[in-house]
Amino acid sequence: MGDVILTMKGIDKSFPGVHALDHVDFEVRRGEVHALMGENGAGKSTLMKVLTGIYKKDSGTITYEGKEVEFHNTREAQDAGIVIVHQELNMVGDLTVAQNIFIGREPVKGIRIDDKKMIEDSKALFDKLKIEIDPTAKMKDLTVGKQQMCEIAKAISHNAKVIIFDEPSAALTEKEIDDLFAIIRDLRAQNMGIVYISHRMDEIKVITDRVTVMRDGGYVGTLITKDCTKEDIINMMVGRVIYEEPKTHSMCPPDAPVVLKVENLNAGRMVQDVSFELHKGEILGFSGLMGAGRTETARAIFGADPKQSGKISIMNKQTGKLEEVTINSPVDAVKAGIGYLSEDRRRYGVVVGKSIIENSTLACLEDYSHGIFIDKAAEKKVTEKYIEELATKTPGPDQLVMNLSGGNQQKVVIAKWLVKNSDILIFDEPTRGIDVGAKNEIYKLMNKLASEGKSIIMISSEMTEILRMSDRIVIMCEGKKTGEMDIAEATQESIMDKATRNIK
Amino acid sequence: MEKFKQNPVVKKIGFNRIILIGVLILMYIVFCVAIKGFAAAGADHLMNTLNYVYFLGFLSLGVTFSIATGGIDFSIGPVMFCCALIGGYCFNSYKQPLGLCIFYIVLVGLAFGIFNGYMIAYQSIPPFIISMASMNIAKGIGAVFTHVNSQSFPQSSDPVNGWFTRIVSYDGFPVGLVVFTVAAVICGIIMYNTKAGRYILCLGSNEEAVRLSGVDTRKYKMIAYVICGICAGIAAVYFVATYTTVQPGYGDQYNNEAIAGCVMGGTSMTGGIASILGTVIGVFIISLLQEGILAFGFGKDIQLIVTGIIVIVAVYADVTARRRKN
Amino acid sequence: MTKKKSLLNDQRFIAALVAIVLVVIYLIFSKEFRKYTSFLSMLDFSYYDILMAYGVTFPLITGGVDLSIGTGMVCYALVAGQMVRNNGLPVGAAIVLCLVLGLAIGILNGVLIGVMGLAPFIATLSTCMITRGIGSMCSATPWPTTSQAGGWFHSIFKWTFGTGRQAFKFPFGIILMLVLMFVLEFVLNHTKFGRYTIAIGSNREATALSGINVKFYHVMVYAVCGLLVGFSSVAYAAVTPTVQPGTGAGLEMDAIGGVFVGGVSATGGYGSIIGSFIGTMVIMLLKTGLPYIGLQSNWQQIITGAVLIISVMIDIVKKKGAAAKA
Repeated sequence: MGDVILTMKGIDKSFPGVHALDHVDFEVRRGEVHALMGENGAGKSTLMKVLTGIYKKDSGTITYEGKEVEFHNTREAQDAGIVIVHQELNMVGDLTVAQNIFIGREPVKGIRIDDKKMIEDSKALFDKLKIEIDPTAKMKDLTVGKQQMCEIAKAISHNAKVIIFDEPSAALTEKEIDDLFAIIRDLRAQNMGIVYISHRMDEIKVITDRVTVMRDGGYVGTLITKDCTKEDIINMMVGRVIYEEPKTHSMCPPDAPVVLKVENLNAGRMVQDVSFELHKGEILGFSGLMGAGRTETARAIFGADPKQSGKISIMNKQTGKLEEVTINSPVDAVKAGIGYLSEDRRRYGVVVGKSIIENSTLACLEDYSHGIFIDKAAEKKVTEKYIEELATKTPGPDQLVMNLSGGNQQKVVIAKWLVKNSDILIFDEPTRGIDVGAKNEIYKLMNKLASEGKSIIMISSEMTEILRMSDRIVIMCEGKKTGEMDIAEATQESIMDKATRNIK
Repeated sequence: MEKFKQNPVVKKIGFNRIILIGVLILMYIVFCVAIKGFAAAGADHLMNTLNYVYFLGFLSLGVTFSIATGGIDFSIGPVMFCCALIGGYCFNSYKQPLGLCIFYIVLVGLAFGIFNGYMIAYQSIPPFIISMASMNIAKGIGAVFTHVNSQSFPQSSDPVNGWFTRIVSYDGFPVGLVVFTVAAVICGIIMYNTKAGRYILCLGSNEEAVRLSGVDTRKYKMIAYVICGICAGIAAVYFVATYTTVQPGYGDQYNNEAIAGCVMGGTSMTGGIASILGTVIGVFIISLLQEGILAFGFGKDIQLIVTGIIVIVAVYADVTARRRKN
Repeated sequence: MTKKKSLLNDQRFIAALVAIVLVVIYLIFSKEFRKYTSFLSMLDFSYYDILMAYGVTFPLITGGVDLSIGTGMVCYALVAGQMVRNNGLPVGAAIVLCLVLGLAIGILNGVLIGVMGLAPFIATLSTCMITRGIGSMCSATPWPTTSQAGGWFHSIFKWTFGTGRQAFKFPFGIILMLVLMFVLEFVLNHTKFGRYTIAIGSNREATALSGINVKFYHVMVYAVCGLLVGFSSVAYAAVTPTVQPGTGAGLEMDAIGGVFVGGVSATGGYGSIIGSFIGTMVIMLLKTGLPYIGLQSNWQQIITGAVLIISVMIDIVKKKGAAAKA
């Protein structure tokens, strides 16, 4: 390990309502791989975005190569030698690999772009990285893994001194991860400073030299990787004071009937052979890290995305028996009594440009219509009823949803499914982007719904939320179900262990 | 001012709509002052304007629905002509009763609406491409069907079929205005008081959220284009009842005028927001403007240019308003 | 993947096959078609379409469209022609004027779309009307004929050797078109402008994040299109004895249809000038060829519309297939 190349000290950053970074310290040395860890929302990506100029910091200093610096955009950071390999790829699919690597700084001969040189330079880059990619292939024809390699090559071609990998392995296969590690070791040998953001505990042990852990926007500590155990890191990640008491036992009676049974569901790479049961009046927590396939599972059940195979059975209300249902679209799912509350409310949950009334009856307008005509009085009445019941804060039912706070928008989505009288509700990250007070209200509401006989699947990346709300927990990792446990036997550590377990 | 904006009646109509009405009145006054004899021949000009309003109004009402979904249909002008030509040929060459021909005219509009809607909603072809294709197909069919002959409809003096022109005006009483008003009210009811209208507006605003609420969005998207097609058919009926002759190969310019009326009235090109009342006022403004330009002694050329500029300004205003909101 | 398979996958190859099949059919069924003069006149009428197609390929690759090319072309020909006739403008200067006008409207389109953020179809629909209006302000204008002073400009497209009955005419225009094709293909594939045109069509945001001034290049795309349309108006004047005001609407469809037949992607990101050339030839064969086998030329409009839809559907199905594989 060489000298310190980059130091961030006392970095502070607030967004409206959120203190995203609370005086965080972080440093990178030449020739080290430095892991940055923490739960979702701990502030890792925000810190890196402050570093590369995407966000402006409120206070704190960044020292790079002995000088205090402040970048205003990624371009400036790039030119200084700090590059970031994003989780979401930033590429132009219709151009070739070489064209993507050199976009914006193509070598020219007169007016002609020197494609030959670009291809040769790309080849040289790939040789250096010991990877095999055809520089003349179209970017969109490559696998995600190969695309990631191209991003890395592009990063290196900027004469980078510090490279940040933001969850690079999320979309890679085992073989590709091995290749990636070989590259990273190579870069380390060339004395570059590398920041490695990942959730995967095993990888951290394999590839990194030091680990810095963040939690709730704050700095927790830095460890030498080889001197610590996986448990040490997990404890640092989750070791917050838990204000809310976790559930000690399931509130769902043991003899509650099964209302939803999913068997061997397959939908793309992110949902492989998933099976589980949901009981009446139960809150079933779905835990796992980002990219574990939980949202994809929910969307496949709901018919929002196509599925390859799998059997879904739902309890018939009249007979009380499980019956197989065919769900090819959300239309089928809603008919079968399922409601889905997306993690991205503004895009998939509410129509923000419309009023609370219009959103509340969106799923079951036919119940509030005479023939083709809408019964406006009736829909206003039912909307008002749920505004009161859910304690939605709004001047009136005519209010546009875009003027409501996150928590109240979520209540509008809940109201939509309650108006529809759906029996199975899938809450995907129900409290994301919602402040603490409103969070508790949502929790209370979910408990009340469950006690009234609704069955709830709750996808959550927040450990405390899972432990506080769930009666039973399903844990997923990389598109597969890796565990299932009753709340009575669940601990943060046992869940995290299953969620980070590498299956093979 | 704020107080005026908060007045319940003003709120109901919409502040922008009231401004538009003001613009309309102001335009009329300006024409009266600036053009010699405009006021004196006021009744004539008013009649011409109304005649223009009838067919353009139907086109504009229809296209409001397709724009509300976030799409577009700029085949309506040529489709209107195609409808009229087919109806005219049935009347003149096949000697079909006029009533039946009117039915055919609307039917052809419906057929185009179904075709456009199906291609856009179920085959996910971009609306502007289908519009281009339909525009061409409509012109082609109109020409082929009539062997490139213009078609005439009965004049008011026609003893048997003279009744046809009475749908425009009966002894000076503007029947057309009554019909158009009723049609606008019906469109308003469809847009704001039926399931179809509700879903059309919602999916124009956020299609994925509506789909994930278990709504068959494709069906309702298609309905919007079907309404648009039917309106183009009715517009054709009014066009021939007013002007009695149609020529093959034309109709494009009315696309722009219809869209101009619609966008001016406050319907957003990005979908989700539509105002039927606004469209009606917009159509009146466009029609009066066309008449005024002619009265000034200018020709079709200036009409085209002015309408083009109006569309650009209206759409740009919408784009900037939207940007400011976000 | 075998060589043969990839060839069949290339829409340009299919389009070329279609063109050949059409030629063979015409040759078999029409005596008239076999004459050299038919061949010559078909080429004559294809140049302006090819030039428009070359131009509009660039906006289509960015995922936009330019609907003003047809009326624009006629407008420039009219304005320049009038200047020649009434103001004694030399023909050489008139040609330059055509190019300048084309460039100006192109830049206007580019600013409306790339800078102000209007949807391409609505912006160019408006400029379509505006150029049509401007054109309509002129009177019907004949450019100088071959024998008149200034008639030299015809030889840009056609060389005549000898006189009277022995005269032999050589279609130089086709050579010009082919040269231009290779030049533009080079521009598209080997210059920064071309590269960023494709990049904007594929992923505008990623392109902007790569530090490229996308607004500038977006304007350039429409400017280049406009320039080529300016040139097309010269070709149009060369084959149209008297350019008529108010025409030109619908001509854009032949060019846009041709580009789609040539395999441009409906959502942008891919296109080729060679494909546009072949595609336009297919459309031209349909347009000028059908009368040879006894079909009314108006069928051509219907067929162009249908061909456009089919080409786009092929593109969409292909994309769906590719997405399913991934």
